[in-house]
Amino acid sequence: MNLAVNNPWALTGLLLALLPLFNSGMRTSPAPWTALIPRDTLSAVVVGCLRLCAVAAIAGLVLGIAGLHRTEQSQERIGHGAHIVLLLDRSSSMDNTFAGRAPNGSDESKATAARRLLTDFVKQRQNDLIGVAEYSTSPLFVMPLTENKNAVQAAIAATATPALGFTHVSKGLGMAISFFEQQPVTGSRIVLLVSDGAAAIDHDSEQKLREWFKQQQVRLYWIFLRTAGSPGIFDQPEDSRDDNAGAMPELYLHKFFLGLGSPYQAYEAESPDALKQAIADINQLENLPMHYIERIPKQDLSAACYSVAAFLLLVLLGVKFFEVKQ
Amino acid sequence: MNKALKDYRTWCLLLAVLAMLVLFLYPSKQQKTPTYNYTFIIDITRSMNATDYQQDNQAVSRLHFVKQTLRELLQKLPCESKVGLGLFTERRSTLLFEPLEVCSAYTEIDTAIGKVDWRMAWAADSNIAKGLLSTLEMLQKSDSSLIFITDGQEAPPVNPNYQADFSAVKGQAKGMIIGAGGLQAVPIPKFDSLGKQTGFYARDDVPHRSTFGQSNLDPSQIKGYNARNAPFGSEAATGNEHLTALHETYLEKLAAESGLAYARLTDLKNLNQALQNPKLATEKVVQSDIRWQPALLALLLLSLVYLPKLHKFRPLFRS
Repeated sequence: MNLAVNNPWALTGLLLALLPLFNSGMRTSPAPWTALIPRDTLSAVVVGCLRLCAVAAIAGLVLGIAGLHRTEQSQERIGHGAHIVLLLDRSSSMDNTFAGRAPNGSDESKATAARRLLTDFVKQRQNDLIGVAEYSTSPLFVMPLTENKNAVQAAIAATATPALGFTHVSKGLGMAISFFEQQPVTGSRIVLLVSDGAAAIDHDSEQKLREWFKQQQVRLYWIFLRTAGSPGIFDQPEDSRDDNAGAMPELYLHKFFLGLGSPYQAYEAESPDALKQAIADINQLENLPMHYIERIPKQDLSAACYSVAAFLLLVLLGVKFFEVKQ
Repeated sequence: MNKALKDYRTWCLLLAVLAMLVLFLYPSKQQKTPTYNYTFIIDITRSMNATDYQQDNQAVSRLHFVKQTLRELLQKLPCESKVGLGLFTERRSTLLFEPLEVCSAYTEIDTAIGKVDWRMAWAADSNIAKGLLSTLEMLQKSDSSLIFITDGQEAPPVNPNYQADFSAVKGQAKGMIIGAGGLQAVPIPKFDSLGKQTGFYARDDVPHRSTFGQSNLDPSQIKGYNARNAPFGSEAATGNEHLTALHETYLEKLAAESGLAYARLTDLKNLNQALQNPKLATEKVVQSDIRWQPALLALLLLSLVYLPKLHKFRPLFRS
């Protein structure tokens, strides 16, 4: 019970609740000698009760005016879900279709397909905490891990604006992992990387990423939106001279992820349907038991205060008509 | 019964009960309150790192001050207002998220503003006019008002021959340009790849003119002019582009061209005032709680019943 009021200054009105203690609020009738009247315990009790009623009525009104409410409460529950960071590629090529062309009426761009399917995905994941990070030449912090699905949707919708520069995946991954710092380890922690290209990661960054993935126990899903004709993540080089990170960044990034030591799954999507399948898989797999906090919104108690006060006022008014007539 | 009606206390209680009846019948009133829908686009180019704002007696960077002021402003916006966030660098801006309702998504918006960093820039030039134009085009379909926060420092300075043309968006655009920074020129801090400051940009570190296209000067006045090989002449350009100050006249000119308003950021109060421009507000009908009015009346009436009798205190007032 965490009670709070909207207007603390209104509580000074509680001083008025002391008034009934000094005054019975009843008409006095003249009596020749009050000592003649015998002591009557019942009367004393009734008068005391009425005074208490008045005190409570005044207090109720004052608390109502002050806006008494119960503050937002949180309750820990156990459900199924995950902490997911969506790491979205904002490089310019995402604005092309899966066929590598500028989008026209019939084909949607990779970014549009990803946006549409991610929007659905977020809708299905009710208990999850979802955060959003983006990267192009540099990483962008977009939305912290949150249960507010509207906020996540707003961030996904904003990727409709034209894409930015190049693909710098290592910095993006670093930022995505940083979302899990200072978060309790419960359920699964996922980085969902959605990209259409890869880039070589330098040695220092590789070291750091390995360390961070292990430290934060993050599982990685990579949805690779493959453009027709471009090298895929499972392609082996035909020529041994091409067997290096510079020529085949996708394959090498995949190899690096495999060697991370943390669970990793890659999907190569060549069409919106394949992308849909990949997202459905993740939706099914990532439902580990998870502690999550359910928020109970702030509850207004002023209505209750007013009701009690109104009831007591009725009582006091009714009792008025039973006063001694003379 | 008659006796009871002759007592003023009965009447007070009766009126108090009536007041409570009114309270339960008409708990709220429809009221028009202004709400806002802003998309803040923050300039994150290097010049925004210049430290010419003061906060708690400490020099802070323009970017830091802008972020801090926006976070404070967020607390002052009425519920149902919406805030979106984007970043500007190079010649365009990007939107991080579309406008979100401020009361339900306060923490999210606040965290996202707090995380804005100059290192998020995806490219390093700064052409504010083009950036503003592309942002206005991007937001054309949205009903959000653009709040473009910048210091007006461009790198390299724009050649007057190649200026952005705002005629397509003028009149449709709604919003403001907010100028950040001081009018005194200050050096721009330089950082290494780990984010540590390694000094300031020197005169030789920055371009002092744009060498794109044709010069805006008369060829006969350019020393060493050659139409094909040296359209800008043979002399190296010099200037004070390594120092930065708020280019207020330039921003005012851009604002006039694009049909936006202009204000300078000095503190929260002045930003709040500037943004409460009635042009940017939409009146929304909200139910406002008016239960306190009848409740206060009932409280006064009830207190009257139990007010101590004055004649008891009379001896105190007699001298």
